[in-house]
Amino acid sequence: MTSTTSGATSGAVYDRGYRPYDGPRGGRRAVRLALFRVSVRRALGLRRPWRQKVAPFLLLGVAVIPAVVNVGIGYVTRDSPPIGFEFITYRDYVVVSSSLFLLFVALTGPDVLCPDRRNKVLPLLFARPLTGADYVAAKLGAIATIVFAFGVIPQIVLFGGQMLVRDRALDYLRDNAEVLWQVPAAVAVVAIYYAAIVLAISSLTGRRIVAAAVFIGLMFATATVSAILVGDTSQQFNQGSVAGLIDLAALPLHLRDLLFLGHLDPEGPLGGVAKGGLFAVGTYAAVLSVALVVLFVRYRWEDR
Amino acid sequence: MTVEPLVRATALTKRFGSVTALDALTVDIPHGRTGLVGANGAGKTTFFRLLLGLGRATSGRLEVGGHAVDDDPIGVRSTIGYMPEHDCLPLDQTAADVAATFAELSGLPPRAARQRASDVLDLVGLDEARFRPIAGFSTGMRQRTKLAQALVADPQLLLLDEPTAGLDPTGREEMLALVARVGTFGISVLLATHLLDDVQQVCDNVVMIDGGALVVAGATEGLVQRTGMVVVDVGDRGGELVSALVARGMNATVVDDTVEVTVTAVDDVDTIRDAIADLGLPLHRLSNRFRSLDDVFLTAAGHP
Repeated sequence: MTSTTSGATSGAVYDRGYRPYDGPRGGRRAVRLALFRVSVRRALGLRRPWRQKVAPFLLLGVAVIPAVVNVGIGYVTRDSPPIGFEFITYRDYVVVSSSLFLLFVALTGPDVLCPDRRNKVLPLLFARPLTGADYVAAKLGAIATIVFAFGVIPQIVLFGGQMLVRDRALDYLRDNAEVLWQVPAAVAVVAIYYAAIVLAISSLTGRRIVAAAVFIGLMFATATVSAILVGDTSQQFNQGSVAGLIDLAALPLHLRDLLFLGHLDPEGPLGGVAKGGLFAVGTYAAVLSVALVVLFVRYRWEDR
Repeated sequence: MTVEPLVRATALTKRFGSVTALDALTVDIPHGRTGLVGANGAGKTTFFRLLLGLGRATSGRLEVGGHAVDDDPIGVRSTIGYMPEHDCLPLDQTAADVAATFAELSGLPPRAARQRASDVLDLVGLDEARFRPIAGFSTGMRQRTKLAQALVADPQLLLLDEPTAGLDPTGREEMLALVARVGTFGISVLLATHLLDDVQQVCDNVVMIDGGALVVAGATEGLVQRTGMVVVDVGDRGGELVSALVARGMNATVVDDTVEVTVTAVDDVDTIRDAIADLGLPLHRLSNRFRSLDDVFLTAAGHP
């Protein structure tokens, strides 16, 4: 409908009415991908007020600092090896600083899951062509991807920087080629594990702060209990103990060691434990499975 | 030619433990605007959940557009837009982001999703407010946002659960006008409410349920049929008219400042007209008395 005013200058008001949509529509895969994109944006504060962007990017910035410092010192001392300075290894850098890593996971994980429950958005989400498994897959994928990026980006800075400050960059690349698969694999192991645990905890509450506190508390509590038990047995047997498996925060680091070293760290909490590597992998798989079961049960969206 | 119903429920039963939410409900719902009427707890929301495939019927069959919901809940869901009764919006997001997100989650590509979100928010009257956070919206604006997210993927069937709940009289009229308008776009509407006036105002068909069982279903116009009564408004001199009509052997009473007269033949209306003329009364209105949907519901449900 169009109405015009008479006169030399005429305006027009258009009622565009309703236009049916006849463009392409994706299936469940497209919907899963859309939920993944939305979750990544939310976790990083994209399309949200600037305050939401500060924390994740600040933490990422802090995580990159050791790499920048190492590269800088490497450049300054390229002609004379530094005395009293130990360069960070790619293995050590997998979890950057474990506290920083846990903080990042605790910050981003609950933020993509808790508001859906707290704001009662779930009925709207599940009125879409989406199942509970799709929802879990998209959210887990989003957080695992972000955490993976958080772990890998500092490593890329470190590797790229170390390579560029060398006189023979290609030699450095060839000498350290194995880290090109070890680092992504180790970070992926850590990222999936932390993402699953933080999301499983977040699925049990609608409050972000509670989920974050429980996650951090669980990690520190198990680390403390494990340290006490391993310390006791170490004094008794002068070696590590299976009690090291209780430390949920450090559990994926044993798998990291298997990837980098081919065996457990002999000076670690599982050092000297017979079949310790097997126990570590088994416990890792068990914890991951429990977290996934909790998630799938919580979002089995039927008959609620 | 027989037109297939949009929704067909056959002996549909849903029990939650010992509670029967739907009791062998058999009904055909045609295309167009249909009111699903019943008291709180009558089974309206349960019926919606079964339509969306968010629960499984204990027994019976439910079809939407000829497709059994149990056989392909995701496929059926992709043709439905749902506006829940309760608050369900992420308060920290803008209406534009919410509508675009839910369009993407219905399978629309990101660019098309944002375009559709803009168009639909324009349609529901939120064009200027679409970049404001929902937390600052009034109840009416939130209801419009809920309607927008339900419409954004251009569904074939729109499920509206108490869309006028919590709205002031003006907001209610505007929402009903929107619902009536949506019905002209070729989108079928199923409006669940306990407000019979809402249904009478915008719906072509009515399905009344009580205790999970069908009370009555049919075209609104057919249900609000003539009652064999004529309503006459002669101002404050109704008593004189009643006396005159009774003297002529008719049954007449004063009800709410109007005179209600039972008519059994066409001549009876002439008798009323003559009585008014003889008395020199001012005739403000003479019309058939229709039943309200309240009368229909109370009579059919057997309530006193």
